[in-house]
Amino acid sequence: MRGRTPLLVLALATLHLMAIFAGFIAPYNPGAQNRELPYAPPTRVHFVDASGFHQRPFVYAPTFSLDSYEEDRTRELPIHLFVRGDTYTVLGILRSNLHLFRVDEPAHIFLLGSDGYGRDEFSRLLYGGQISLAAGLLATLLSLAVGTIVGTVSGYYGKWVDESLMGTAELFLSLPWFYFLIAVRAFLPLHLSPAETFLLLIGVIGLIGWARPARLVRGVVLSARSRNCVSAARGFGASDLYLLRRHILPETFGVLLTQAALLVPQYVAAEATLSFFGLGVSEPVPSWGNMLSTLQQYNVLVSYGWLLAPAGALVVTSVIYWLLADLLHSRLKSHSI
Amino acid sequence: MKLIARLALFVCLLLATLAVATPAPAPMNAGEELQHVDGEVGRYGGHLVIGQRSEPKTLNPVTASDAVSREVIGRLTADLITINRESQRTEPGLAKSWTTSADGRTFTLKLRKGIRFSDGHPFDADDVIFSFTVYLDEKVNSPQRDLLIIDDKPLSVTKLDQYTVRFTLPQPYAAAERIFDGLPMLPKHILEKSYREGRFAQSWTLNTSSVEVVGLGPFRVKEYLAGQRIVLERNPYYWKADHENHRLPYLDELVFIFAASEDAQVMRFEAGETDMVSRLSAENFALLNRERARTGTQLVDLGPSLEYNFLVFNLNDLTTKKLDAVASKQAWFRDLKFRQAVSAAIDRDSIVRLVYGTRGTALWGNVGPGNKLWVNQTIPHPQRSLETSRQLLKSAGFSWNDAGQLLDSNGKAVEFSIVTSSSNTQRMKMATLVQDDLAHLGMQVHVVSLDFRAMLDRVFQSFDYEAAVMGLGGGDPDPNPEMNVWLSNGATHLWHLGEAQPASDWEREIDQLMQKQMITLNFQKRKQLYDRVQQLISENLPFIFLATPNVLAGAKAQVGNFHPAVLDHYTLWNADQLYLRTESRGGERAGIR
Amino acid sequence: MKYLGRRLLRAALLLIGVSALCFLFTEMAPGSFFDEMRLNPQISPETISALRTQYGLDRPLPVRYARWMKSLVRGDLGYSIAYNIPVVSLLWVRAKNTLLLTGTALLLTWLIAVPLGVLTAASRGRLLDKAVAVGSSLLISIPEIVIAIALLALAVRTRIVPVGGMRSLGFEELSKWGQFQDVAGRMLLSTLVLVLASVAVVERHVRASVLEVLEAPYIHAARGLGISRMRLLFRHVLPVAANPAISLFGFSVAGLLSGSLLVEVVTGWPGLGPLILEATLARDLYLVIGGVMFSAVFMVVGNFVADLLLLSSDPRIRTGELDAG
Repeated sequence: MRGRTPLLVLALATLHLMAIFAGFIAPYNPGAQNRELPYAPPTRVHFVDASGFHQRPFVYAPTFSLDSYEEDRTRELPIHLFVRGDTYTVLGILRSNLHLFRVDEPAHIFLLGSDGYGRDEFSRLLYGGQISLAAGLLATLLSLAVGTIVGTVSGYYGKWVDESLMGTAELFLSLPWFYFLIAVRAFLPLHLSPAETFLLLIGVIGLIGWARPARLVRGVVLSARSRNCVSAARGFGASDLYLLRRHILPETFGVLLTQAALLVPQYVAAEATLSFFGLGVSEPVPSWGNMLSTLQQYNVLVSYGWLLAPAGALVVTSVIYWLLADLLHSRLKSHSI
Repeated sequence: MKLIARLALFVCLLLATLAVATPAPAPMNAGEELQHVDGEVGRYGGHLVIGQRSEPKTLNPVTASDAVSREVIGRLTADLITINRESQRTEPGLAKSWTTSADGRTFTLKLRKGIRFSDGHPFDADDVIFSFTVYLDEKVNSPQRDLLIIDDKPLSVTKLDQYTVRFTLPQPYAAAERIFDGLPMLPKHILEKSYREGRFAQSWTLNTSSVEVVGLGPFRVKEYLAGQRIVLERNPYYWKADHENHRLPYLDELVFIFAASEDAQVMRFEAGETDMVSRLSAENFALLNRERARTGTQLVDLGPSLEYNFLVFNLNDLTTKKLDAVASKQAWFRDLKFRQAVSAAIDRDSIVRLVYGTRGTALWGNVGPGNKLWVNQTIPHPQRSLETSRQLLKSAGFSWNDAGQLLDSNGKAVEFSIVTSSSNTQRMKMATLVQDDLAHLGMQVHVVSLDFRAMLDRVFQSFDYEAAVMGLGGGDPDPNPEMNVWLSNGATHLWHLGEAQPASDWEREIDQLMQKQMITLNFQKRKQLYDRVQQLISENLPFIFLATPNVLAGAKAQVGNFHPAVLDHYTLWNADQLYLRTESRGGERAGIR
Repeated sequence: MKYLGRRLLRAALLLIGVSALCFLFTEMAPGSFFDEMRLNPQISPETISALRTQYGLDRPLPVRYARWMKSLVRGDLGYSIAYNIPVVSLLWVRAKNTLLLTGTALLLTWLIAVPLGVLTAASRGRLLDKAVAVGSSLLISIPEIVIAIALLALAVRTRIVPVGGMRSLGFEELSKWGQFQDVAGRMLLSTLVLVLASVAVVERHVRASVLEVLEAPYIHAARGLGISRMRLLFRHVLPVAANPAISLFGFSVAGLLSGSLLVEVVTGWPGLGPLILEATLARDLYLVIGGVMFSAVFMVVGNFVADLLLLSSDPRIRTGELDAG
């Protein structure tokens, strides 16, 4: 169990670093269209050709013939490492144009194929991770923060405070949130940049989503409150804040952690749902959600399977977070005993 | 005892089968004046199953506003004069012949004698008068009423005798007989009561029992299952027959199942649950094409449709609205050179290739090659040229800064947004491609996708938009239905609504030309006028035209007389002549093995 | 009893609040039902305004709300603009279909998730736990929409089950068993999607709460006393671990009418989802509001049930602090 910690931390760090340094790792800009190469399958990287093994891997340029893509075997184009290419920024501060790998024109290296506009899926996946991961984390933080506060107050003080807060929570849960989102989306000013619009929408999701953690926290607080140790401590004159901090809140950690590990991927999935209805990030900014929305088209799902890459990314994200949650859970448990 | 029991059972079963049996075509009457249609002679029997994108909302021809409802209603009803979808010309319907007065204002229609409604009740001029009374009634607010108003005056209908009706138009109107297609004749004996009581809108809803929904179309309602399907059965009294004197329709039943989306429709077609699918997307067409050798599916590419997709800039008068940000950008939009530059920069070939999978056509005017009768062949189709765009922009006072951004003559960076409907993936794709094209000119363009009605609200009501990608057209090749798009005070004059006076000389000229062609009865003269209109439109670019899709349709191998057309309804317009070649029931009951 | 009374009052207030917010949101969302007609050059704006007046869409919000409340008292939720049929009858037909689907899915989900959660908690760290963990991570992270479409594509390709609709053509001619098979076959796909989408969440919650209880001293003591593992798990641990699970169950019941929107739309199940979605996009006001109110009622009932269960399962809450009075 202990031995797994550094591995897990490494995985989590790698995931997020890949997103942050998307510009470096990705060979192309996410919006770069190659209109002659829509739905190209992943480029095959070769090490061996007629003359034998090459140390430097190479690719062939794709050509379109007879309704499918073929490799043009006349020219071998090697893959170069650490080359200059399109400019990008890291975290909005650092500008650079150094890329991890590229291929000379006229070939393109589509590690995960291309989409309907001929844009590199691999690059878009990395850039999309920036948006999707940030969205999941932010919305989760927001929901949990609000939910914990409300749930604790509600469960601890009980009576009418509890009633009114839980009533509000129910109201939030019964809201026609889809309609609400349409309304918010529709009368947002046109002059917000796509990123700002998106963050606003995530704020809305996070704020609507506080109700469920609140209810769960409240349940736990209610039970914890009635424990003997709490009554005893109160008998000793402990203040509310002390009781909360020392006895009750720690009980909620388990629930909160499970919630966090569950909510992050759920909110990323919520973003995918929004994109399904066209309410999420708009073109050409990529997010894992709007990249998946093209898969609703039956023919795309069936014929161009490499476009499922964002689903894979979501799975990876979720697995890492789950393992992390479990780890933290066992750590915290061992501390409280 | 046993024998009696068996007999009783047999009789019960017999009755049961009779009860659900489809009505056979009624025997011919001597006095019936049927219409005989040409075409392949088919065989009787079978069910044809077709998928729809959603559920029809009502069976009332007056309140139905969505295409899905009209698809069903069109099979239940008939018109006086119809437009043949293949030839695109008018032909007799319930009216077997008509005469026009010299000034083109009076139409005298002779109705077919001996025709009966689907419940056996005879049809005559009283029903025609009743129908038009309903359509023209201002309290009913039927959309059809607007079709019957020319120059703010309604046409008038009079009954001359039991089978003759006279229509008088307030002024001459070109191709006036085309009005009658889409105005179904309503049964007076069924609907008069609810009309007089003011409850007309509540009649013929989906809750109405099928016996009450009576019409003159090839089919009548058999049953409706909420959210799943509506089943139509043969109208035994239908007034058409094939040229061997067999009463139509051939099919026993026509079933509409609701498939929720175009992809779901295709899936069910592939699974064998439906027999026909109309308006396929290019990708789905390609998918079905690949399987064609194995399945024998009939797939037809009919060429370009009549709809046109375009980019429109907001040229509305915004002085009374508080939309300063938009208003400041209108200085660019109003400059013709700016619009010309945008048009020259757009890669229409890529649009056709990537949005329509090569099954589409680029457009430079509102009338495309799909409208063979009216298209103006002399309009130029310039190829994409970024150089031309840059020259135009330079001459209009624009310039570029070091970062490559386009600046106007005041040094302001050119940046705007394009709104589009999120439910239409093709137009979203077009907007994205246009955005990328304009980025080559240094313009920063955002694509904002809104839900359909929110977008309509901005375009028609609040005017809070900068540019939009939309589509119009597709109804009728004749220019008259499009009047309100091109007349300066028209309600669909999208780029500049609510003009009290024409805002420019070319708009004034278009007004005059359109008004003139509306009352010109000679086709050649009308064509000349309309050609000039098309020329003015493509020169002045109130819309920057993009592309139009081809009409793609498919049917199973055993569907006979499958003749899809470019006009609505693409595959069911000849539902009365469709038949099934083999004995199988049209929709396999997949799943019950 | 007083407790119940207060809960009912709260429920009523909640429903009023939801209805008011609904009206507010529908007002905020731009566009109206008849806007689509504006794209038709042959329909005049006068006709469109006249239609709006005819259906009362141009009256101010408070007036419309008041009229709706008045008719609500009589059990009338208004008319659908698109269908011209009373909203109640439209909703009821579809709601039955949805409940059939979600009810079955709920039952299956909990039947699978609860034992699975308990077992994986008990065998923590071992093969079963790990295998289930990977599976549940997968399920949780794939958006419901992708599960639905992937299963749909699979179903179409392999033709194992029919797709779309609830009853085949010729349903009436089948025997009772045949009819059951038909509906079950068509329901299989949607039910599967719903179960797959939610079983992981429930399993995780059950697992987490069971884990917490397993570490309590009295459980260790019970083990030491030689109580068998199964009996321990299901007789002693589970009831205590049930606390958060019960809230979750309440939510599940509450979401019976609203949770299946996506699945129904994608697989073509004729439930409430596609109806409300279309109505929302078409701005068919009273249908949307009616649909939301239906869901809200379920929500309230679900929460009520959850509270009752909580009350009966955790005696510590009953005695005292929750102020049942």
